[in-house]
Amino acid sequence: MSGDPHLPPRWADRFLEWYCDENLLEEIQGDLHEAYYERLDIYGKPKADRLFVVDVIKFCRPYAFEKYSTLKQFLPMLQNYLKIGLRNILHRKGFTAINLAGLSIGIVAVMLVGLYWNSENTYDTAFPEHENIYRLMNKYRDQTYTCMKFSDYFQSSEEVEMRLINRLKEYEGVTAACHFVPSESAIGGRDKYYIEIDDTRYLGDNLLYLSSGQDFQTIFPLEFLRGSEEQAFGAYQTMTITEKLANRWFGASWKELDLVGKSVTIRDEGFLLAGVVKALPGNVHFDFDIIIHQQEIPSWAAYTYVKISDAYSIEQLMDRLNQDIDNIYPGYTEDVLSKGVTYLPLTDIHFSSGNLYEIKNTANKAYLDTFAIVGLIILLIVWTNYTNLSMSMYAERQRELGVRKVMGAMSRDITFQILAEAVLLALFCFPICCLMIYLGVPFFNELMEVQIDQMRVLSKSFLGILALLLFLSGLVSGLYPALAYGSKHTPDLFETKSRINKAWRMLSFRNVLLTTQFIMMVGLLSVTWFIYQQMEYVANQDLGYEVEGVIHFGIDGADKYKQLSTYLGQLPEVLETGANGVPGSEMYNQLTYKMEGTEEILSDGTLMEMDYGSVKTLGITCESCKSLEQGKDQLFIINRTAAKKLANILGIAPDELIGKQLITEPEWENEEYGMGIPHRIDGIIEDYKYFSLKYPHQSLLIEVEAEANWAYEMMVRLQTDDWRKTMEKVQAEYEKVEPIVPFDPMFLEERISNLYVAERRSGLLMGVLSLLTILLALMGLVGIVSHMAFNRQKEISIRKVLGASIQHILLTLNREFIILVLVATSISIPIALFFASRWLESFAFKIALKPIVVILIGIVALGLVVSLVSLLARETVNKDPAEVLRA
Amino acid sequence: MKGLGYLEETILLLILSMRGDAYGYVISKAYEDHMGKKISISAIHSAMSRLEKKGLIKSHMGGATSERGGRRKRIFQVTDLGRATIEEIKASRQKLWGLIPGME
Repeated sequence: MSGDPHLPPRWADRFLEWYCDENLLEEIQGDLHEAYYERLDIYGKPKADRLFVVDVIKFCRPYAFEKYSTLKQFLPMLQNYLKIGLRNILHRKGFTAINLAGLSIGIVAVMLVGLYWNSENTYDTAFPEHENIYRLMNKYRDQTYTCMKFSDYFQSSEEVEMRLINRLKEYEGVTAACHFVPSESAIGGRDKYYIEIDDTRYLGDNLLYLSSGQDFQTIFPLEFLRGSEEQAFGAYQTMTITEKLANRWFGASWKELDLVGKSVTIRDEGFLLAGVVKALPGNVHFDFDIIIHQQEIPSWAAYTYVKISDAYSIEQLMDRLNQDIDNIYPGYTEDVLSKGVTYLPLTDIHFSSGNLYEIKNTANKAYLDTFAIVGLIILLIVWTNYTNLSMSMYAERQRELGVRKVMGAMSRDITFQILAEAVLLALFCFPICCLMIYLGVPFFNELMEVQIDQMRVLSKSFLGILALLLFLSGLVSGLYPALAYGSKHTPDLFETKSRINKAWRMLSFRNVLLTTQFIMMVGLLSVTWFIYQQMEYVANQDLGYEVEGVIHFGIDGADKYKQLSTYLGQLPEVLETGANGVPGSEMYNQLTYKMEGTEEILSDGTLMEMDYGSVKTLGITCESCKSLEQGKDQLFIINRTAAKKLANILGIAPDELIGKQLITEPEWENEEYGMGIPHRIDGIIEDYKYFSLKYPHQSLLIEVEAEANWAYEMMVRLQTDDWRKTMEKVQAEYEKVEPIVPFDPMFLEERISNLYVAERRSGLLMGVLSLLTILLALMGLVGIVSHMAFNRQKEISIRKVLGASIQHILLTLNREFIILVLVATSISIPIALFFASRWLESFAFKIALKPIVVILIGIVALGLVVSLVSLLARETVNKDPAEVLRA
Repeated sequence: MKGLGYLEETILLLILSMRGDAYGYVISKAYEDHMGKKISISAIHSAMSRLEKKGLIKSHMGGATSERGGRRKRIFQVTDLGRATIEEIKASRQKLWGLIPGME
């Protein structure tokens, strides 16, 4: 313990000053010092020091630090704090507006992220005992199927479909087992249906086919609003609909109608409307509007679930099942491609990946957590922005605080005053935030393709969390100014330039924070720009065929196609019709092929069929197709990519391939041709982008028919000014041919643009985030700059007096920020390029990333910052120097 | 009438007995001198704040000395209520003493 030999240890003294009530400090400290002074003579310094420390520690009792514990002293003043706070908030409208806006936007963003995070992390937890529910999955080849196939692929009967389920239910420990197929799934066909009730036809989609209703109800309990589970699942040929659908079909007054027991027709089959249920929450891995309970599920497989009792483990069940498997699937263990049955816990389904035919898109946990971190960063930025803004506001209000102190306010009062104002302002955001979140949820759902229930925003727990977060925001962001101004000495409050403000300005932490904000701003903007450029590139890419005016829709068979084609041919708006071969597809199974007489087998072939009408509808140039007009019925053509590969193997020019034999699936032994199927190459067409631009050109092997032998989809090229009327005409013709399956047309343009939905969504999210960071960064800047300009007004005035021009002064004020933006830009170049190239990895056809883009965006950011700084500093710079210097 | 603790009673008597300024530190010294026991300054302070709350003593800020680093003392005086209280205590004690035979 060093220092002045006649003084007690400084740290102990300071400790006393820190905790001790101001009113008591003087006498206590005086007494202790006096005692120390005397003991110094009697015992010497070491012992006197020790005794002093002991005394200080002994004083550390409620009596001495009443200043921190007296709510009873604080509460009477609370009303006053709030009154003054309210006056100030209303008085400083500009400040209040900026702060309210910044805080609200930030909190809304954070709460939305929180809602999203929570909804994703509670997937499938709405079901009771969800930890005991598992989905069974079949392993085949190298892939895991999310569905279990039925016992016999070639024959379908109730017994065959239910064999697995019935067997499972015989096992001990299995409480329930069920399976279903939603029509909106890869194995459900994604068809639309007409549903007839009382001679009215309704359009229905997302049907859930179910044959084990009672077990389904045990595993996934539904709440019946009308009808009952006995009515719905105690018999077959029943239909259950959701409340939402009932509303849509029968209007809000559906409850007054006697719906249960009505007979219903779906595709010529009769059903009984047996119940109305509450819809499942959005965060369940499957969804439905309608449940069809019937004996057979129209598919080759079904999603299969078991619920087991607490005492039983899923591993035991799987062992049992895999031993018993041949009794369910004859010959399963002999089949080398079958690799056994496995399982997935219900709550893991949403975060699983790599399994075939999942019902809904799954999520990546790492992305989700990254998203949560971005949310927290935004919260931090919001808080620091608020701190910056309040520091600058209180700099202007110093004198007010000084006067309060002179009138008898203590440090505590100032601290509480500032905190109360901060909290009050934060709580002002409450209604704004509620409204913004409530209105924002539907947009957010659209943007992120999630289904967060809007009503959750009005739940008590959500509002409680929001209020708590706002209260906390006020407290945290008000803490620094509150303590800084509270601890200031009264005379300092009357100085124009204050010591703590300078310390704050010098604080490099603030600069780090600002630079981080600038990096995020430039980086996010650059990535957004790259994504936008890529989307533009994709949209304007020459696909090799005509997209404009082409619609496509499903058609059931060649007969109906031909009939409809004839009818449509009479409409003046219809230019061409064609069957099959609709481009803009995701990748699907590929097949092997080779040239006759060579050994090398290629495995990247995509075989497709279309009729000549499709070639003409798409406007694909095909010289050899002319022969179809001259009486040939079928052609086999390959694209340039395939031709190049094959010509390379043979060592000839691609065009010389014409007339030679190509063999598809050469390893397949068949009676007709021996090995594989031979095709004579009739022509070569230029590459066109049949698949999404995410993939490079594939080898296309195309069978073109003069007239379609079969058809499942058709295209129509239209030319019209009145699309609505034309589509109605086409629909009318369609309905003449097809009375059962609804007309479900789509523009080819839309189909192609749907290929990039996920990419566009990430671009949109990036855009929103970058806008948010720009907004927040600029708001933070407002606080810092007005604070800085206020602090430096004397300096500015002196410069002016000495003849500096306004431009020069503005440059001086801007210098610091210019440097920060430049540093931030150079740091964000590699970061932005890295993330953009990661994003672009999924595209085979893509733009080149140019660092100059980031630099240009950095310059734009610089322009923004400089103009904002100059705008804010203008008032100070234009002040009369004489007035400033006299003050 | 609020109860009075032993320490509080002693301090009250000490203040009455002292000529001149009675403040925290000198009271603690006087306590040690008269009672022969050590006491910490903080104990004296908190006892005095209790006495003041009860209205038995009053205080004002007095002069500063250099030993105190220029800090002022809080000088305590016994109030009329304090004096009355201590006399009442004395009287009741006296009455009790009088009841003990052979101890006059």
